[in-house]
Amino acid sequence: MKDLNYQKQSLITRTIIKAAVLMSEFGAESILIEQTAQRLGRALGMDSVEISLIPSAIVLTTLHDNQCVTTTRRVHHKPINMSIVCEIQKIVINLEKQKYDVTYLVKALKDIEPNYYNRWLVIFMVGLSCASFSYLQGGDWSAFFITFIASATAMFVRQEFAKRRFVLIITFGVTAFVATLIASISQLKGISSTPNIALASSVLLLAPGFSFVNSFLDALKGYLMMGWGRWMEGILLTIATSVGIIIAMSILNIKGW
Amino acid sequence: MSDLIIKIILEAIFASVASVGFAMVFNVPKHTLIYCAFGGAITYITRTIFLHLGLGIEISTFIASTFIGIIALYWSRKYLIPRPVYTVASIIPMIPGTFAFTAMISLVDMNSHGVTPELIEIFIENGLKAVSILGAISFGLALPSLYFMRLNRPVI
Repeated sequence: MKDLNYQKQSLITRTIIKAAVLMSEFGAESILIEQTAQRLGRALGMDSVEISLIPSAIVLTTLHDNQCVTTTRRVHHKPINMSIVCEIQKIVINLEKQKYDVTYLVKALKDIEPNYYNRWLVIFMVGLSCASFSYLQGGDWSAFFITFIASATAMFVRQEFAKRRFVLIITFGVTAFVATLIASISQLKGISSTPNIALASSVLLLAPGFSFVNSFLDALKGYLMMGWGRWMEGILLTIATSVGIIIAMSILNIKGW
Repeated sequence: MSDLIIKIILEAIFASVASVGFAMVFNVPKHTLIYCAFGGAITYITRTIFLHLGLGIEISTFIASTFIGIIALYWSRKYLIPRPVYTVASIIPMIPGTFAFTAMISLVDMNSHGVTPELIEIFIENGLKAVSILGAISFGLALPSLYFMRLNRPVI
């Protein structure tokens, strides 16, 4: 690795930042992104890798033999997909163990296959999990079934919007609107004795769990900027959900109950 | 006593179903689904036991999420999977959905029908519960990894 020229080093830098951007886009923790970049750099023969993270971009520098290469990439946030993060983690461990060179890394990053579940299975399971949540909160059986129907329909709407690549805020607002419209049947018709629980659990599929948990983990480990960014993201999604719920309820109010 | 055991088992089953559903939304790898289910069941059982022992809901939630944080640390080392894959799905059944929802509805009520002391009371009571439970969950999850951060970094 002594005769590492500029072209080679810049190829390595571009490949490492590609892995870092993929991890940041699909919702990995900041400390994991930094460690991944540094481990990849060390395995490929760099002296050190320095990384600067903000919510919308990544700046990365590799050092080798008094020569630095720096590059910046924009990060576009996408729906959370943990299987891609796990795949990259596996590639890093393979690279460290087997002493592959950079061509392996380029090829492996190109071949990442995200693990998608069957669409209808996801709809069924999400409906069932929101319904179980309503049971855990103390709802009765009719609340259970209404929550199942409401959240399964909401998940279908969410997938349709995700397929058309809408902004997450619009997706969340419309999904909450649909879920509340269906769940409020329990209150309108007086089927369930616990209508509030059905209403609250049917929008649970929109809880931005990853944003809030990651923001706390980042902030406590010293990545304050990323922590604030993710916190804001979570708050915005929560507000979008609340606006959807409020609009649905006010529309039903006009019809008179 | 047997009533309590049946209640705990039923709740554990429903909590694990809830965790699996959310794990699917986050697209976790297929072989981790079973651990997400176990994680949801473990957190909910822990919380129910501590609630039954007479502790408050915030403390019980904190203990349960610390517990799943430690277990997930062990699982992530064994199977080489990042920890949030397990932990985020496992804490989903403990999210204070009803408290947050009631607080929000009372806020909307205050806006449209006028402010009354009863509505303010409902809002503050439910909002405080929701915020403190969320805080307990996130601090509990962060605690085990913060403990290990000290080991691979010099203090001075």
